[in-house]
Amino acid sequence: MTEERNLCDLSFLKMNMLPLKLRPLLKALTSNIEIRNIALSSVLGIKEIKQVQNDKELVIYGEIQPSPREPYLLKNEDHCCPICASGLDVKHTDVLILSQFVRSDGCMLPKRITGLCKSQQKRMGSLVTMAQKAGLMPNLTPAWSKKDPKRRYRWKKFNTYFDESTIKC
Amino acid sequence: MSALKRVQQWATFARIWHIYDATWQNPFDSAQLLKKYLMGLYKPIYHPMNDCGDHVILINSADIALPGNEWQKRVYFHHTGYPGGASWTLAWDLHTKDPTMIMRKAVYNGMDGNLQRRYTMQRLHIFPDANVPNELLGNVSNQIRQIRPVPKRLDHYSEEEVQTAPKVIDYPKDYVVR
Repeated sequence: MTEERNLCDLSFLKMNMLPLKLRPLLKALTSNIEIRNIALSSVLGIKEIKQVQNDKELVIYGEIQPSPREPYLLKNEDHCCPICASGLDVKHTDVLILSQFVRSDGCMLPKRITGLCKSQQKRMGSLVTMAQKAGLMPNLTPAWSKKDPKRRYRWKKFNTYFDESTIKC
Repeated sequence: MSALKRVQQWATFARIWHIYDATWQNPFDSAQLLKKYLMGLYKPIYHPMNDCGDHVILINSADIALPGNEWQKRVYFHHTGYPGGASWTLAWDLHTKDPTMIMRKAVYNGMDGNLQRRYTMQRLHIFPDANVPNELLGNVSNQIRQIRPVPKRLDHYSEEEVQTAPKVIDYPKDYVVR
């Protein structure tokens, strides 16, 4: 259900069809052009496409799917943020909790999405950094990452642990 | 002397062999623990003049863990004795050169300097991995408990465990999952 268009789409110019001398020229041309994508609906939103056949008209619509986290969500009846309400003492080794605040490339999610209070957001950010430095979340890393902590550079390849009391908040 | 007393006598003076897994353990905390077994400090018959220390096999010394940025900050000093013979080696550098050296130095420096120290160190057998000769492993009768729990990596949990773990937050309705 997505529609994307590039304003300056030069992909119809196939590299293979050009003479050798012209290829760097085309590369220089295309690298400077700013490509903007126009999407009419959210590009990666999880929606199920449904078709309903009434007489003479076919209705096609996208339905937002329930989150897979919903059945395992902790109840929060208090007014405080989810971490404060749970009363958990989160350590940097609790990767099953920390990975919930992280995108697939290892970036911390912003406060408006996690819904944590200011101090807990900061604390979780520090804990995520500690877990990443200790190499405990190697599958949530950028694409260029080496993934395996043992292949990291110099001192980074050795096991490190952290003291949570050093977090200043 | 009854048979029971005789066996008790053997058991008291026999050297016991312990095994210790250093995976994700702090070498300096572990040294204080191993010292107790190497010198026999935990035995009721202990006396400084009484040679009652045990053997300890330490495995996986390449996988020890240091806190914070100690791999970069801890420095090992050596002097050849000649002028200008001083050298300073960082902990990560020493550990890449010899993965047993940090552990050995931690235990050595954790003990008091006396004439017994070098003989006590001979009872410590350090291996960088878990490959221990069978003639040593056959002696082992006790495992020393680790000090720190070994953390589990996120990619070592099964997909189902990650999915069904209790969730603290849910994404907003309009959030696009990345």
